[in-house]
Amino acid sequence: MESLKQKAKELLEAGEIKAVLGYARGTSDTRRPHVAMSALEVDKLVADQACTTNLANLLMKHEIKHLGKLAVVASRPSTLRSLLQLTAEHQVADGAILALVPAEGGVKQLGTAQAFEEHLALVPQKKTEKDQALLDRLKAMPRAERFAFWQKEFSRCMKCYACRNSCPMCYCERCTMDCNRPQWVPVPSHAVGNQEYHLVRAMHLAGRCVECGECGRACPVGIPVHLLTFFAEDSVRAQFGQGGGASATIDNALSTFRPDDKETFIR
Amino acid sequence: MSRIGVFTCHCGENIAGTVDCPKVAELTRQIPGVVHSVDYKYMCSDPGQTLIKEAIKEHKLDGVVVAACSPRMHEPTFRKAAAEAGVNPYLCEMANLREHCSWVHEKNEATTQKAADLVRIMVEKVKHDTPLTPIKVPVTKTALVVGGGIAGIQTALDIANAGHQVVLVEKSPSIGGHMSQLSETFPTLDCSQCILTPRMVEAAQHPNIKLMTYSEVEKVDGFIGNFKVTVRKKAKKVDEKACTGCGLCVTKCPNKKIPDEFNEGLAFRPAIYVPFPQAVPNKPTIDTANCTYFKNGKCGVCSKVCPTGAIRYDQEDELITMDIGAIVMATGFKLMQTDKFPEYGYGKYKDVIDGMQFERLASASGPTAGVIKRPSDGKEPETVVFIACSGSRDRAKGVPYCSKICCMYTAKHTMLYKHKVHHGQAYVFYMDIRSAGKDYDEFVRRAIEEDEAKYIRGRVSRIYEEDGKLIVKGADTLMNGEPVEIKADMVVLATAVQSQDRSEDLAQTLHISYDKYGFFAEAHPKLRPVETNTAGIFLAGACQAPRDIPETVAQGSAAGAKVAALFSQDELTREPIVAVVNRQAPPLFSTCTGCFLCQTACPYQAIEQEEIKDRSGRVIKTVAKVNPGLCQGCGTCVAFCRTKAIDLAGFSNEQLFAELMTL
Repeated sequence: MESLKQKAKELLEAGEIKAVLGYARGTSDTRRPHVAMSALEVDKLVADQACTTNLANLLMKHEIKHLGKLAVVASRPSTLRSLLQLTAEHQVADGAILALVPAEGGVKQLGTAQAFEEHLALVPQKKTEKDQALLDRLKAMPRAERFAFWQKEFSRCMKCYACRNSCPMCYCERCTMDCNRPQWVPVPSHAVGNQEYHLVRAMHLAGRCVECGECGRACPVGIPVHLLTFFAEDSVRAQFGQGGGASATIDNALSTFRPDDKETFIR
Repeated sequence: MSRIGVFTCHCGENIAGTVDCPKVAELTRQIPGVVHSVDYKYMCSDPGQTLIKEAIKEHKLDGVVVAACSPRMHEPTFRKAAAEAGVNPYLCEMANLREHCSWVHEKNEATTQKAADLVRIMVEKVKHDTPLTPIKVPVTKTALVVGGGIAGIQTALDIANAGHQVVLVEKSPSIGGHMSQLSETFPTLDCSQCILTPRMVEAAQHPNIKLMTYSEVEKVDGFIGNFKVTVRKKAKKVDEKACTGCGLCVTKCPNKKIPDEFNEGLAFRPAIYVPFPQAVPNKPTIDTANCTYFKNGKCGVCSKVCPTGAIRYDQEDELITMDIGAIVMATGFKLMQTDKFPEYGYGKYKDVIDGMQFERLASASGPTAGVIKRPSDGKEPETVVFIACSGSRDRAKGVPYCSKICCMYTAKHTMLYKHKVHHGQAYVFYMDIRSAGKDYDEFVRRAIEEDEAKYIRGRVSRIYEEDGKLIVKGADTLMNGEPVEIKADMVVLATAVQSQDRSEDLAQTLHISYDKYGFFAEAHPKLRPVETNTAGIFLAGACQAPRDIPETVAQGSAAGAKVAALFSQDELTREPIVAVVNRQAPPLFSTCTGCFLCQTACPYQAIEQEEIKDRSGRVIKTVAKVNPGLCQGCGTCVAFCRTKAIDLAGFSNEQLFAELMTL
């Protein structure tokens, strides 16, 4: 932790960055995002096991974007994966954001997409055991049963959009859900509207999801919404051999037209 | 409130047979916004159109729905009528009561109700329609012809004679193609080169034709009338301007043991070569893969002997980009590799050759000066077996289609052989004789009756060598499958016609479709045989399917006529049905977030990046922009855009929503 603070101070003093986006102590044992722009604020930074939020989500916020060059504390691989995917989607220029990765006996400073990729090769992202178990269970279910499972889960949804707001890939300035001319997806949280919302969200993230699981953690009623996108991501990986957050240079699997696509799935 | 007119057509009995048209008119009259609704027997007829035009004026209509057939059939007709009466043509829509309703349903109440619903949908669409103006694009009056065989030469000459510029691109060092390799042509037995070479020279000397030999199309961007084509001019390592074509380098080149492609490997050529004596342009090319200088840096004889100093070892490939208005593909065919037939012993026995090699043996310009000699020992073959359908119509090992030309050229081969070797005997193994064409069947009969070729209906199972003879074992299916064994001196395989190597890559470069055999696909097999599905790109000759010379020339001229028709106008009108990325007031500027996933989704490269800048020139936002000249209105980007920042003019999100919600 000390080396992280020291590194942050050095970078700020040298003027290489304008701010560090990291974690600070929140109420009770929680950790909350923290923007440090001075040595004094850097001292509040925390780096431990409780720092689970994917900070990449905040990087896309207007207020943070305008601070200038940033360093972000990437204590989890998903933050780096988010940065890679955001670079692939032209939201972050390669090299515009530094990543500070707390590591054994110090802190690692990564500056480019290539460095992120190399680091990620060393620390692969793993799903939690609980998530993996539920995902396997879902995959084993017959279609009708799976549909019923989600219908039941969605019935609790109150459309607070916390899952959307916590997602690093949901950076659109105007979300389709807020589009009311025309209003394709109904606003109220009734059965049809909820289902439409979650299906649209899953489709919009298929092939782009970095699997940080932030959406599931954000849900106030405990719907495992992250498994919808995990499921979609697994399907894309199985079909196309690539998924979200793996590289800053690969074209998106679902949206890329290739004249040599064999289209064998059309029969 | 809109003032929409609904015009329901009976289409004779086509619609009125199952749909109660007066009832549809009555029901649709009650839709809010509809002020006039009538039915008529034939809306597309002259009185029908007059009825629409007069109603527009009388009722001051600001939108029209014609409930009739498919918009593919008559949309232009009715839009024109609406425009003549002063309504923007894109405020006229068609409800498809024929294909979508009357033809597919029984006559009953529900069918009429569905017809009324289809009209209701289109009324909603018209309410949300915006007036559109067609996009005008200029036409570059230069054509690109890819391939310098007889198809390409004919096309180029026809376009050039119509007064337009043509660039003729050929990948090998000379134009002429397969036809220049042939000895005589069926069904007249006139000398192939004698009729071809004047055309080659004409093409080379035509003031409107720019010849680019030893060149290949690298990249094609743009659209009809406005293609941007990049051609790779491969380095010949010879300065074409300085070279006089004296041929001294060719005679002095010490490396003379390279199999000659023009003679199908039956002779040799040097490393610096002119493919054949009548080549156009008649200037040499260095084959760098076989040249001693390029292999180990020594030699340089050609450079030393050249009287004009035209040899350029340091010459590099050149990339030339051109503005082109129309493209004609005339890339021709290749013959199937004979190594697919080990049972025929090709490659193992020197005297088993393919049809093109026989052409070279029979040609006066060939390696034997037209004397039939077998490749192994140069002896005159006294018995020759011709095997038709070597690979054609063979689902198991070859291609399932008929190569079309083999029956005719095999008959020709037997005649050429008999005319040169009077005591010789030709045998032909065949499956069926396909000789449809002017004077074609008479030609085959002549081969059998006058030149005494023995035709055996059956397949050959095996060929092997014994005592210097090739033993051909087969069956005669007209004699109850009785085994046949012929002791032959030479065997000629009429191998299948296939698409050129890399034709699929080329098709992808040009964004044209191709079939599973790699032949380029025409837009319609009967009614648009020389056009491709990509506007402005046409087809000529055997790159589309196996063809003989008369057909190829006819198609070349047809493609030329299509290009000339295209070039007869100065401007092209394009449908304004294109995608548009929205623009909004600051600070949003556009709901586009600039993820540019639409850019990879667009099959036409129509999406560009646009920087929105403030007054001081600082970039505020980078968003997508659609080039209306390139956009084909397919809507792929619209479907993919997560923020719905893209809309298709004439098919907007709001329109589709309104159409659905009215049901």
